[in-house]
Amino acid sequence: MGSKTILNVRFHEKIGCLLFGSPGIRRRACSNDGVLSARWLTQCGYLRTDYDGTSKGNRQQRHPQPVSASPAHPLVHPCVRPEHNLTTLRNYATMNTQQPGPMPDYQVDPYRLLEDDLKDVYSYIKNALRRNTYQEDLYEIATYYFDGNGKAIRPMVTILMARAINYHMYQENSSLLASQREVAMISEMIHTASLVHDDVIDQSDFRRGKPSVNVMWNHKKVTMAGDFVLAIASMMIARLKNNDVTLVLSQVVSDLVQGEFMQLGSKETENERFAHYLTKTYRKTASLMANSIKSVSILAGADEQLSELSYQYGRNLGLGFQLVDDLLDFVSNSAMMGKPTAADLKLGLATAPVLFACEKYPELNPMIMRRFQEPGDVERAFELVHKSKGLEQTQFLAKQHCQEAMRIANMLKDSPYQKGLVVTADYVLNRMK
Amino acid sequence: MSLSKVLRLRPLSQKLLPITSAIISDRKSVSSSEKQFAKLAQEKKPDWNRAVSEAEKIVGYPTSFLSLRWLLSDEIANVALHLRKLVGSNHPLLKTAKGLLYNGKNNMQAWGLIVLLISKAAGHSPDIPDMEQDKAAGVLHSQRGLAEVTEMIRTSHLVHKGLVNLQPPNNVDASGDMMFGNKIALLSGDYLLSNSCIELANLRNQDLVELMSSAVRDLAEAEFVGPRDKQNNPLPAKPKNQVEYKQFTENNLEPLVVSEALGNAQAEWTLRHVLNAGSLLGKSCQGTLKLAGHSEELQEKGYLFGKHLALAWQACLDREPFQAGSSGPFSLVCAPLMFTLQNKPELYEHIERGLENVDEVDYELLRKEVLEGPGLELTKNLQKEHSQAALQVLNELPASDARTALANIIAAVQES
Repeated sequence: MGSKTILNVRFHEKIGCLLFGSPGIRRRACSNDGVLSARWLTQCGYLRTDYDGTSKGNRQQRHPQPVSASPAHPLVHPCVRPEHNLTTLRNYATMNTQQPGPMPDYQVDPYRLLEDDLKDVYSYIKNALRRNTYQEDLYEIATYYFDGNGKAIRPMVTILMARAINYHMYQENSSLLASQREVAMISEMIHTASLVHDDVIDQSDFRRGKPSVNVMWNHKKVTMAGDFVLAIASMMIARLKNNDVTLVLSQVVSDLVQGEFMQLGSKETENERFAHYLTKTYRKTASLMANSIKSVSILAGADEQLSELSYQYGRNLGLGFQLVDDLLDFVSNSAMMGKPTAADLKLGLATAPVLFACEKYPELNPMIMRRFQEPGDVERAFELVHKSKGLEQTQFLAKQHCQEAMRIANMLKDSPYQKGLVVTADYVLNRMK
Repeated sequence: MSLSKVLRLRPLSQKLLPITSAIISDRKSVSSSEKQFAKLAQEKKPDWNRAVSEAEKIVGYPTSFLSLRWLLSDEIANVALHLRKLVGSNHPLLKTAKGLLYNGKNNMQAWGLIVLLISKAAGHSPDIPDMEQDKAAGVLHSQRGLAEVTEMIRTSHLVHKGLVNLQPPNNVDASGDMMFGNKIALLSGDYLLSNSCIELANLRNQDLVELMSSAVRDLAEAEFVGPRDKQNNPLPAKPKNQVEYKQFTENNLEPLVVSEALGNAQAEWTLRHVLNAGSLLGKSCQGTLKLAGHSEELQEKGYLFGKHLALAWQACLDREPFQAGSSGPFSLVCAPLMFTLQNKPELYEHIERGLENVDEVDYELLRKEVLEGPGLELTKNLQKEHSQAALQVLNELPASDARTALANIIAAVQES
């Protein structure tokens, strides 16, 4: 099938520049027309026809239950990462992106599987913070986002991998190590510290259904509270007494900051832009997942090869996660508000859907360069993205990463946790919010 | 002081880093009294700048490569680009940046320098392989790394402190300049902090990582102590009757108890400045002795040395705005004012005027009160106490050029 080949070539280039860090080799020759035929998309399970039996390539139809379930999210902000409570997430999970091969006999629900492990994560974190200050206002700001309303995907995936790896290496004689549980908490703390700082930078209004920290408190105190959470996380890392784990996790902190810096600049040439975007996505999102997972593998005593494998699972999962996030920024808003309101565009950020779209509509290039600042830019870009195949291509790329994560998960010894890793990759891809 | 003979001024042109020489030669930002002092110091007395520049030679190349590395880093190049946009916006980040480079006594390099000097003065255990030593400078590579970490943590904190509070609805930032400045300041501070994480991790000593992380925690804690105005500038707590207060826990990894110290001039002042300065310098000195393989006992003394030196330094800085001919605002939590308040609690109503904004306070009135009260004398005593405590630790180390340099720095602080 000709179109499939072309598409694959194109995606391999994208993916290639991600995997091997060689940016900018993009084939100009193939224009977009007809690249994604509906039939092919259906065949590879990309267009989901299971709701209403039709597929016109229209996002609204493919997702008949858009985010109306979350009125608390005005979605005006890119840092509003779609974080929701556990039950809704569960409901959206499907198995229809399973790779060929025998389906598992039962459907594993990672959140239920780890219920005992996860239920205390937030209170442990709060205790750790409590032990480190006698000042109430500092404690209050620092614990504001540890209210149990996040979906805690980072601790969940971290513990899931810890248990899967433990089983892989030691079979029945394995249980979750205290140090591995600590890493799960640390990953959420690092994430939250970065959220707190993001809120100050971007002046968002709402997060997780409540006013964001910068609305509630003095920005200088909020900034310091972010530093405080990071400091406590670093102390916890140190107490694990493992040089390699400390190195791996400190790299995460550095990646987060560098990713944020990359988001400031947009002076790259068109060819470098996609690689820039992917590197930024890795640093801002995937690095934390990948390296937390790698840390629990190291703590399990995994050799280099196995810990690298687990790292790759987290990296692919994280990239898939963020790509879906960027996609939902275009989809869920319009469904909810009935008008185009892409939050990333408003902040001047060109994410994957836009970058894909500008292959067909080069007029997007100047808009990207001026960060959608002129009147009408946001609306126009939004419209062009929807007219192009940008959303489909973004989802395809996300799917590549999630499938790679699944492939890696399938290399581990069969266990409920290993199945959970597969299911998680599926959640990440098919979540609606 | 015979020690001062060791210190002879070297021509400035020999300085490798232009930034360092800028700091040494820049007299514009130095107060007038210091200018006079500098003139006197041309003779023989140890002055601050001379003490520092001579001390730098003792531990090898001047200060650290931090400033050079800044210039070569993509992120900072990015920041520099954006900083230009901020010129004219009066965002405090510009002042912070300038202060970091030119603020005479308070410059960040001095902190790393002290860590290196104490490292050299204390020496290291004979078991440490040659590979890990910087033989020429007499310190370990890891200790140099730690000195950089100290500087980065301190700078990061100063940069984060220099944000502007834009909490809605009180602050409307029409131009967006302040928001942009905040963004750059926050990211630059985070950049330094994240780099310090990596450098620390590379030292592969988890006790040290925990110790230094607890210093970062203390710095963050410092910004929450006592009453604050809208821009988070500190105000002293309402004075209360002097009560006996013991504030230091045995284990300095534990957080400090804050509430009991508030209202007690000396305890509150000490708590504030241990948190925002003493802890970092103390823990850095402790940490560098840890890297050298010294006993827990000596490490503990290292902590005390750094802590007392930082406090002596702070007391010295606190006295500056009350020297003859000074005018303008000063920190409301400086020791002379806090002692004066303790002595004359009815003055607190003047402090309360600044609860919204410290600029509303009548500084000239308070200055007059301080000059007439016992505050300056008490501050001098406080400073002496801390200088002597630092010297006492120093005297337990064997005589060396590094020890001499440290003694000179303490003397320079004391005599100014």
